Amino acid sequence: MRERLSFHIKRDSALHRLNPLTKLLLVLALILSAFLTPFYWTPHILAILVIPILSVIGRVGREYLSTAFRLILPAATFLFLMQAFFHPIGKEIIFAFYFLDMTLESLMFAFGNAMRIVVMVSAFTIFLLTTHPSELMSDLSRRGLPGQFAYVIISTLQILPQVQAKAQTIISAQRSRGLETEGGFFKRAGALIPLIGPLVFGSLVEVEERAIAIEARGFTSKHVKTSLHEIPDTPTDIFLRWFLTTLIAASIGLKLWLS
Amino acid sequence: MKISINDLRFTYPAGVEALRGISLEINPGEQVAIVGQNGAGKTTLVRHFNGLLRPSSGSVWVGDWDTSKYSVAKLASRVGYVFQNPDEQLFSRDVLTEVAFGPKNLGYKKNKVDELVGCALALTELNDKTETNPYDLSPTWRKMVALASIIAMDTPIVIFDEPTTGQDAVNIARIANVIAEIKKEGKTVITITHDIDFCAENFERVIALSNGEVLLDGEAHDVLGREEILAKTYVDPPQLTRLGKALGLKETVINQEEFLNALK
Repeated sequence: MRERLSFHIKRDSALHRLNPLTKLLLVLALILSAFLTPFYWTPHILAILVIPILSVIGRVGREYLSTAFRLILPAATFLFLMQAFFHPIGKEIIFAFYFLDMTLESLMFAFGNAMRIVVMVSAFTIFLLTTHPSELMSDLSRRGLPGQFAYVIISTLQILPQVQAKAQTIISAQRSRGLETEGGFFKRAGALIPLIGPLVFGSLVEVEERAIAIEARGFTSKHVKTSLHEIPDTPTDIFLRWFLTTLIAASIGLKLWLS
Repeated sequence: MKISINDLRFTYPAGVEALRGISLEINPGEQVAIVGQNGAGKTTLVRHFNGLLRPSSGSVWVGDWDTSKYSVAKLASRVGYVFQNPDEQLFSRDVLTEVAFGPKNLGYKKNKVDELVGCALALTELNDKTETNPYDLSPTWRKMVALASIIAMDTPIVIFDEPTTGQDAVNIARIANVIAEIKKEGKTVITITHDIDFCAENFERVIALSNGEVLLDGEAHDVLGREEILAKTYVDPPQLTRLGKALGLKETVINQEEFLNALK
């Protein structure tokens, strides 16, 4: 059983050390330039060159590759095939298969779109691999993100593994009372009933307890809160953020100017 | 029914070696308390008795069954297991249905189920609460419902995981009474506990575990008197035992009666 639900891999790299906001801006810059660029090859260069280099800088190359092959490429391939065959542009059919036909234009269009998706998902993957969710949230709440919002994100990531563990205990308790959990569909569906009651009830009680516990520590207090965990924000971060903001502004500006 | 454990080893998938070669025999009708620090392997050990965990190596036999060859649901007819937190098992609308769930699963006939449920409810003093929703009861009574729901299964072996944690004195006495009654029926009772007074007053045999190994195993008297060895697994002997030692009593005393007798 996975202990937690975050992708984060604890390592020391230049990417790990960057401030979470800088990385978030980097993701945004990558996505916007892939989607808004007037040049056909931009998303391809980003996906094939920039993203892999970033994953190496972040020392998560292997983890990124495994995610790419298991998740990103299959999804992008599916999207590519759908659009290549069904997007109604172009006249000259270069490939036909029963009622499906592909034109050079639809092929190019589909390839470009698939690459944009690859860039988008990859950028987020690298971001999640190198950023701990609680680090991101404490940095953002320090910058003024409402605490409630951070709580929703963080608690979701933490509660799910807990619910999983709880479900496991409940199943063990009911099996110890002779509940047969193996067998046909109806048997297994019936075995769910003694599980759901304690699970839902227990989880509700836990939510309430959690709310009381964080309130007891001044969650809704209006005072400025200090943090035990300092998240570094270096001059490099500030420089990079200026650079990335300029890049984002440039791609939006270029798009507006050309349209 | 006898439990035989032969060189039992168990390693969790995460790599923690929780049991490092345990060999034990627990005879029919014995009252055994298992003590030891957190993480000593107490729960891991007893979860092997009803098949919730399977040995990494070695074997556990319950009567003539090798537990690795039977499902938990099958083993439930021989080993009843009361979990620590009643809220993780109660799901029925009322106490009566809850208590009948186990015996029905075991396939007893209708009138046998009624009889067993009746006995279990009487033993746990729940007779006047049969129609109540378990979640409307106080935590102490929910604990009794959990006890009743296992006792009604009429298994020759009953395991209690921390039965006295968070219970008041009255309910601890009730639990002690339940244990004494099922002992009279000749059943084996195995209890995991941190409550060393409860252990001294109700159990004949005490097994102290430490780091997945048996540190001490023997009569409650012998085990609870070994202060230095018990300290290794962060167990303090009962207060009366320590007081008796400080007073220079010749024998080890573990409960009030023995203490008073030794003073006379």
